[in-house]
Amino acid sequence: MNLAANANAALYASMIVYTLAMLAFAWHLAARAPQVAESRAGERDEVREDVLVGSGGSGAPRHRTTRYAAGPGFEESIQSRQRGNIALMLTYLGTALLVASVLMRGLSVSRPPWGNMFEFATAGAAAVGVAYSVMAKRNHWEWLGVFVVTPILLVLGLSLSVLYTEAGELMPALKSYWLAIHVSVAFIAVAFFTIAFAIGIVYLVRLHREEKPPARPNFMESLPSSAALERTAYTLNMVAFILWTFTLIAGAIWAKQAWGAYWQWDPKEVWTFVIWTVYAAYMHSRATAGVDHRKSMYIALTGFVCVIINFTLVNLVSTFVGMHNYSGVG
Amino acid sequence: MTTETPPRPRKRTSPDPSLPRLSALGWVRWAWRQLTSMRTALFLLLLLSIAAVPGSIFPQRNIDSGRVADYIAQNPTTSPWLDRLGFFDVYASPWFSAIYLLLFVSLVGCIVPRTKVHIAALRAAPPRAPARLSRLDEHDEVVTDLSQEEALDVAREVLRGKRFRLHSHDGASLSGESGYLRETGNLLFHLALTGIIVGMAVGHVFGWRGDVILPEGTRFASSAGTYNTISPGPWVDTETLPPFVLGLDRLDVQFNEAPGRAFGTPREFTAYTKLQSEPGAPATDETISVNHPITVDGADIFLLGNGYTPVITVRDADGEILYREATPFLPQDGNYRSVGVIKVPSASPKQLGLTGFFLPTAEPTFVHGPASLFPDAKDPELALSIWEGNLFPGDAPQSVYTLNTDEMTQVAKADGSPALIRLKPGQTYEIPGDRGTVTFDSVKRFAGLSVRTDPGAPISLVSAILATLGLILGLTIKRRRVFVRVRAAEPVGAGVDSPEGDDRRPATVVTIGGLSKDSDAGLAAIVAAVHDRLAERNDRS
Repeated sequence: MNLAANANAALYASMIVYTLAMLAFAWHLAARAPQVAESRAGERDEVREDVLVGSGGSGAPRHRTTRYAAGPGFEESIQSRQRGNIALMLTYLGTALLVASVLMRGLSVSRPPWGNMFEFATAGAAAVGVAYSVMAKRNHWEWLGVFVVTPILLVLGLSLSVLYTEAGELMPALKSYWLAIHVSVAFIAVAFFTIAFAIGIVYLVRLHREEKPPARPNFMESLPSSAALERTAYTLNMVAFILWTFTLIAGAIWAKQAWGAYWQWDPKEVWTFVIWTVYAAYMHSRATAGVDHRKSMYIALTGFVCVIINFTLVNLVSTFVGMHNYSGVG
Repeated sequence: MTTETPPRPRKRTSPDPSLPRLSALGWVRWAWRQLTSMRTALFLLLLLSIAAVPGSIFPQRNIDSGRVADYIAQNPTTSPWLDRLGFFDVYASPWFSAIYLLLFVSLVGCIVPRTKVHIAALRAAPPRAPARLSRLDEHDEVVTDLSQEEALDVAREVLRGKRFRLHSHDGASLSGESGYLRETGNLLFHLALTGIIVGMAVGHVFGWRGDVILPEGTRFASSAGTYNTISPGPWVDTETLPPFVLGLDRLDVQFNEAPGRAFGTPREFTAYTKLQSEPGAPATDETISVNHPITVDGADIFLLGNGYTPVITVRDADGEILYREATPFLPQDGNYRSVGVIKVPSASPKQLGLTGFFLPTAEPTFVHGPASLFPDAKDPELALSIWEGNLFPGDAPQSVYTLNTDEMTQVAKADGSPALIRLKPGQTYEIPGDRGTVTFDSVKRFAGLSVRTDPGAPISLVSAILATLGLILGLTIKRRRVFVRVRAAEPVGAGVDSPEGDDRRPATVVTIGGLSKDSDAGLAAIVAAVHDRLAERNDRS
């Protein structure tokens, strides 16, 4: 069997495993829900203790837990923990299969495997999977899994059904080592933007429920506090923003080499710039004293909408005709 | 982009008599404050991102003026208004320029005072420790049997290890500050952004570009008059362009022939050229391909396009050659359906003009008009209509790629239908009415080359790298202040926490407080480190 066919087989396999992971994450959330009612009071105590830590003045060094992204402040049931572990294992496996698929695709054509939209989408999904897998265990992000694996599955499904392109040679404009640099940093940035977006949405819901406590608590009440979620989203967006800045600059250097001018307001350049300014606005608003974090988060979410427009409409709709016509579709 | 929030205006329901009237200078100062405030910068940033979008939706003159013309023709009602408002030239429009200029004025108005403040902060000692450290975000307390000086020394040692700058305003306290690089990075980032704009401006003023279409087997000597189009910056002397000579030996082109979605997509474009740095200089072999420009005399030569130049001969009725040239036809789509024009001013009795298509792999039926099935020259064909009359009405300058038919009539066959030439290589067509013949001799490729210099690019590049560096410093480094206060413990017996046993040394209470401008996960760890070291020393003694 050839490598390209193996790559596709691995892709299908990863989708199956990811589907199981998604179900397991949902199953995990279901196990978290009933715990909440009893543990909410406990959570509050724990936070208080954390704040007051140190005033006791005992001499021995104590083990400190930072509240930062430290996961639920409630006693997680063994059942929920087990299910979370199963879901994480499945995610690791699905991610490994997806990464293998991307690698085999790259080997089969002897070039970086992100030369058209299908390849960009699968490589981007793999980056999301890897980023989540690396960070999930340490930060107790089992609750986040369903919000990360579901979009991965959506992207993989769409890329197979709509964007699929046979493995092949690159068009001349893409034959450059900048493809490896510019495009890979771009989709790693998108991976961080995606996870930050998922956390941002969860943050808004969590904040709403904190302000108006619902009659029946569910798994949302077992998540880290809205303030912790907001900080995590900010950190991820910050990393992504730095990577996006690099993408923009690397793209300009490549454009100079390929097209003779580093900036020509090609639609892709325009949207990369728009995304950059929107997230720059988010960074500013987050740093401005007196601006509600919720408002800042709306700006970040708008930024992610621009990321999606940049990848879909700008690549596929003929209104945005420009020089970045590498979709391989149509 | 000053970090301080401007004070909120008081309720405007009733005029406040205590407010002084603002003088003209006062209003200017007020406007300046508003412009340089962080909220305004934020607003301008969002506005800039919105303003950039139309440029990706509407065709732009700076990218493709042909598409703009098509759009205007297709939307006669809305397009005059769009044009007047600058929607076909967004990035040079007054409103777009206004936004980014305001943004940069705001930026400069912010970084200059902030730089002053920052330099002062770099020189100044950390501020005096607040009286009640327990009010700070992070704080801790430990009772030790070290003396007050010893306790401060321990704290000093820990904080110095964490690169804090330290100062004791009095014998009972210690102030430390770290993370000055955060603000340095912020300022560097914003300063470097202005550097990028300066680089762009320099490139605009001192840079130039010339485009030339070079058929295989021909040579081109660079000078202001020999380019097909040249756009010099306002301060460029076009007499001093580098005088190189470039000859195109061969253009290698490959397209994907495997069926599937990628059928017909380009695979390889390479131009094999001979380059002389000036007329008469020795020639060197150079290859130019996409992503691999060559450089001569500070100018870069890019291979940006390619197409076909059918060699066409026009003879009069006596067989005299009136026209024989490799004529460039410009590709219109992915399969290189190309349009071109042949102008024969020497024809008699009237001037002749031929206009139409070159099809590298012609679709034979022409059911949907002339079309090409594949970009490579597998089955080339010319399809031309014939016009006669005055080629140059009013002697106005015109493009070599368009035929002005205002004063021309189409040549018809004997039955009155318009004459259409369809020729394969080697074939000859006799123009009706004994007007002569048209021969399609052969096909050559042409390379679309672009010669450019941009002296501002290095400035922008260095600025962009500095901006990234500044951004990383400004976002990842935390500005932190840590304070330590010591006081004598209350008399033995009262303190529950005092060390056990009959200790003669006086106990010291150490309070540690930490402060950070932003949410800062690491601050607690630093406070804890000071605490733990003190506690550890206490255990040992």
